[in-house]
Amino acid sequence: MNQADVSKLISQLRIVVRPKNRNLKNPDGPEGRLLKLRKTVTALVKHERIELYYNRADEARGYAELLISNAIRHGDRHKPTMELADYWLLEKQLVHKLFKVLVPRYDNYNVSYTRMYKAPRDYPGMYYKKSVLELRGNPYPTLCADQTQNRNLLHNVLLDEARKEFRREKVADLANKLNVATEAPKKTVEESSDTIKPTAI
Amino acid sequence: MSAASKIHKATWCAFRNLEQYRTKAKFSSSAIGTRNELFNQEQRRQQDAVGRIEKIEIRYLGLPEDVTLLMNKHISTPYNCAQHLSEGHCKRSALALIDGTIPWDMHRPLQESCTLQLLPFNVSEPHVVNKAFWRTCSFLLGAALHKSFKSEANLQLHSFPGPNIKSGSFVHDIVLSSQRWQPSKSELRAISAEMVKMSAQDILIERLDVQQELAYEMFKDSRYKSEQLPSIGKQNQGRVTLYRVGEHIDISRGPMVASTRFLGKCTIGVSHKLANEGSSGAFYRIQGIALPSGYMLNHFAFGLLEQRAQKLNSARLPHEPFEEPQQMQIS
Repeated sequence: MNQADVSKLISQLRIVVRPKNRNLKNPDGPEGRLLKLRKTVTALVKHERIELYYNRADEARGYAELLISNAIRHGDRHKPTMELADYWLLEKQLVHKLFKVLVPRYDNYNVSYTRMYKAPRDYPGMYYKKSVLELRGNPYPTLCADQTQNRNLLHNVLLDEARKEFRREKVADLANKLNVATEAPKKTVEESSDTIKPTAI
Repeated sequence: MSAASKIHKATWCAFRNLEQYRTKAKFSSSAIGTRNELFNQEQRRQQDAVGRIEKIEIRYLGLPEDVTLLMNKHISTPYNCAQHLSEGHCKRSALALIDGTIPWDMHRPLQESCTLQLLPFNVSEPHVVNKAFWRTCSFLLGAALHKSFKSEANLQLHSFPGPNIKSGSFVHDIVLSSQRWQPSKSELRAISAEMVKMSAQDILIERLDVQQELAYEMFKDSRYKSEQLPSIGKQNQGRVTLYRVGEHIDISRGPMVASTRFLGKCTIGVSHKLANEGSSGAFYRIQGIALPSGYMLNHFAFGLLEQRAQKLNSARLPHEPFEEPQQMQIS
């Protein structure tokens, strides 16, 4: 009965997290894996956009999300959160960046704090898939140009014309109805007088 | 036993293929064959007539950087220039822009030194490419109709008016020997499927400028085309521009996009009967709508566009007399 709501104990991430972690092959075992991920998370917070192999990016992304999410939830007066930040950020000046720059930036976000793109791999070269991992709201130019705003693209031209035609039809309809309405009262009076007469008789 | 049945199966398949081939050969009548033969001959003749190879300087403007390319006069095409840049340029570029103003087909040889821009569909000012795409769609619709109709239907392509994207549909006007042809939904879908098949095959669209006399010879079996040819030749100093996709050849002013690959979503929505033609034939206007490949549009929005494309396109009708002789040229 007095159990805490389990779903509120840890931050809910806004990204899809794999049910099982990746081991990220490493001679030092799990420790080496964590060091790799710490380096990646540090680099992400430092540079805000990094290009790396897909597996490592996807794995580090979850930890970065969790770190930022906890920082927003608990603030910088919370000891476990501070320890977490101290662990994940290898360069200590980035702890300041996390709490003073990223927390205010993401305070009102209702989407994930990071973004991941698939990147083309070198050919010929290593087979591994590549990706770009970035923090949202970074100062760099966007990677995917937003095509929806270009009104000159073919589908936008077609949609705009369709919209115009729809409005034109609506206005014509309205005008027709008005015409009918202005002509109608006379008719209805005549009709009503006609219809009333028999009942009166 | 299984081996025997396999062999039997293989021979049977081969036989069926052959039969199909035969019927196809019969259907793609001799007229189309000779037309293609003439096209090939003229193409070869023009290639041989180049003679001594001269160099021209092409100044390429755009990503990744502006460069000057040394190309061959009357041989190299914008596509060849794109090959010097990257595979992505070759794949994406639908049309080239010469000297910043003249649209130029990707596979049309360059005539002299000039600046060159390669236009994909997502440039910031895509009017030129859009127009070329719309024109190409009309042209491909002609090819798809040719493939879809049996020879008994007596299909004759009339023409297609200039591309007007704002009208909401691309158009091809045809003449059929039936006066009340009402295509069912599945028939229209079959025509759309032909279009999609062509786009999957990734067929190059070839351009050829020929003398009017040769064009006469190529289209001597087509009544409407031979009627149109004099006015087209008069405007263009006796030259006529032809386009070919697969086996289908048509007259068009151009330019068109480089390949059928650029055709993405496509629907042939409706056929309107325009007027009777002669004692038993009639003009029909086939209309459709298409988007370049790679354009994402949700099905609801595309459905709205499809609905709009079903209204009769207001472009000039084929059976109406021309008001001005200058506008007589089909696009």
